[in-house]
Amino acid sequence: MIPDRVVEVLHGPAWMQIGTRDEALRPAHTFAVGAMVHADRQTVTVFVPTARSGRVLRDLRENGRIALGASLASHEAYQLKGTYVSSRPTDDADRARQDAYRAALLASALEAGYPEPIARPLALGFAYTPGVAITFRADEVFLQTPGPGAGTLLS
Amino acid sequence: MGILPDEIKPAMQGVIPSHVVTCARDGTPNASAISQVYYVDPDHVALSHQFFNKTKRNVAENPRAVAWVISPETFEAWDLELEFVRSETSGPVFEIMEMQIEAIASMVGMKGIFKLRAADIFRVTAVTKTVGERIPFAEIPGPR
Amino acid sequence: MAVDPRDSSGLREQIAENQQTIDRLNRDLAKKSNEVRIIQQISSEITSTLDLDEVLQIVLRALDGVLGFSHSMILLKDLGDDVLRVTATRGYAAEGVGAQVRLGEGVIGVVGERRRMIRIGNIGASMRYLRSVRARMEASGEVGPAEATVALPGLADVQSQLALPLTVKDRLVGVLAVESRTPNAFDELDEVLLRIVGNQAATAIDNARTYQMVEQLGRLKRFFSPQLAELIIRGGADDPLKTHRREVTVVFLDLRGFTAFAETSEPEELMGVLREYHAEMGKLILAHEGTLERFTGDGMMIFFNDPLPMSDAAERAVRMAVAMRERAAELAARWHRRGYELDLGIGVAKGFATIGAIGFEGRWDYGAIGTVTNLAARLCGEAKPGQILISPRLLPEVEQMVEIEEVGVLAVKGLARPVRALNIARLRDPA
Repeated sequence: MIPDRVVEVLHGPAWMQIGTRDEALRPAHTFAVGAMVHADRQTVTVFVPTARSGRVLRDLRENGRIALGASLASHEAYQLKGTYVSSRPTDDADRARQDAYRAALLASALEAGYPEPIARPLALGFAYTPGVAITFRADEVFLQTPGPGAGTLLS
Repeated sequence: MGILPDEIKPAMQGVIPSHVVTCARDGTPNASAISQVYYVDPDHVALSHQFFNKTKRNVAENPRAVAWVISPETFEAWDLELEFVRSETSGPVFEIMEMQIEAIASMVGMKGIFKLRAADIFRVTAVTKTVGERIPFAEIPGPR
Repeated sequence: MAVDPRDSSGLREQIAENQQTIDRLNRDLAKKSNEVRIIQQISSEITSTLDLDEVLQIVLRALDGVLGFSHSMILLKDLGDDVLRVTATRGYAAEGVGAQVRLGEGVIGVVGERRRMIRIGNIGASMRYLRSVRARMEASGEVGPAEATVALPGLADVQSQLALPLTVKDRLVGVLAVESRTPNAFDELDEVLLRIVGNQAATAIDNARTYQMVEQLGRLKRFFSPQLAELIIRGGADDPLKTHRREVTVVFLDLRGFTAFAETSEPEELMGVLREYHAEMGKLILAHEGTLERFTGDGMMIFFNDPLPMSDAAERAVRMAVAMRERAAELAARWHRRGYELDLGIGVAKGFATIGAIGFEGRWDYGAIGTVTNLAARLCGEAKPGQILISPRLLPEVEQMVEIEEVGVLAVKGLARPVRALNIARLRDPA
């Protein structure tokens, strides 16, 4: 079960990165914009840009291993590790979620102290559509905030 | 050789956090954000190692990593394919990183408390400037 | 980028790209030559003067006008200390000159301590990161609450800083720093340029400072012993010859019966006595590190806590006075045998005086003026042979040391109320 605080963080706004690997253990990366925790508090859907999804999807179909890192501007951070379930293109509902997410990212970046000329392109300047919704089952959740306790398994 | 282009240097100043993905020997990937990927020379970068972390543990088992860095000026991004070379606890790269941390630590009342443990040196095996990820500046919604 | 030789449009593209690269390199090279030329000019300007302030201003002006560093400062290292002092600034609303940075504090302090250049472009982000780590460490009990951090000179919202140590041979002369509110404002070319200017500036500054010190030493030696002059310069204190006010302990001494003796004795006898008296008293003044302000015949005025500060000025003054009384008693025994009726009297007082160079061109003295000097002189005047009269203001600092007897009350010019006079009977035996 994903802890409450982590669900809160995933629902935004968090800066997110997805990690996969191929059969030779070579890592691959994409960033994600927006995430959704399902009612079972175990399944997560995360939205990545199609332009960056090719290699990641190939890896997932091949071995299913996925890592999702999510951090707030305050550096509070978590990592979920799990198994790929399915993927589909993002739809209007997803995009609406993502728009809200992005606006919240901008506000949090400004609050954290990033100057406007950096906060705005950072939060809003990355293409998020067309996108792919990747769904996975979270098997482990770790605390990743830098400092004491980093790496602790939460559930 | 010189695989890192000059234009990537602003992305390595730690103004915007970077992403790093590694993989353990058992096949579990690890994805995180870090403050700064340090430019060492046209073929090498360094990550700072302060707290013990999974990234560090992974590259000891499996030296391959990828990093995604963003320029705070153009907001272009690069994918770097990396291979862990060694951890340094002395030498010019370590010293420069250590000095920066020391300076900032002293400014936030953490002198002596927060220290650089090691500089992890990676060789850059490939650099790809990412394409199609940016929304042109003109199209980014402006302040309301 | 691999190009198929059969693809002529691809080839054209490649050629165009190559040409662009060549153009860019040429522009960079021209820029570099231009900057090199400018730096050569700066170099000749700063080595042409030995005036420290001029050197500093030339450097900062050039950094601004020519190289575009609009916020800059030069800190110089105190000789005796591990402290960097802001000596010249440019681009700041408030001057900030005089502000101090300890070695190891902030970017500038770390540069001074490690003797290495730093370029940092993400100060804001870094501070936020470390602050949040600190908050977590505090929450988990790993560290205590943060002490107040020292205010550092420079921009409050600085994002980028480039600082380099100014060294001559292996000595740290100071630190040159430029900063900006923009993140990532400086690049490697800036490092190169600043390093070149910095190296030249270091030598020019060191020369100017040495010249300044030699000049000052020369001036001070006319007023003070060479050792004291050197101590003053090493201390890096403000020029003692500039008029200033300080709380000093003043000792006034003279010989009872001297006027009569001077009238009746032979010139050789008189000079002999004076020479002996001055020599013996002089030794004690040096031993206790007092400042001899004047001697007029048999009268001598010495003060403590200037030009060198002393935390135990009052104690030293009293010890010296007691030692002088003992020594003078031995001299007096001899003088009495020869028929000279001479005895020492001493007055000691503490208070603020205006101190500095007194006199005129060609004849300067280091003098002190104030009610305290009047009081010391008056106490001395009232002292009977063998008495050391002190003002009650000294009591808190010396009563552990000495046994006191009340002598009476004096009216003193410049003081509204009469002053209790106390005689030092003897030093207490050490416990």
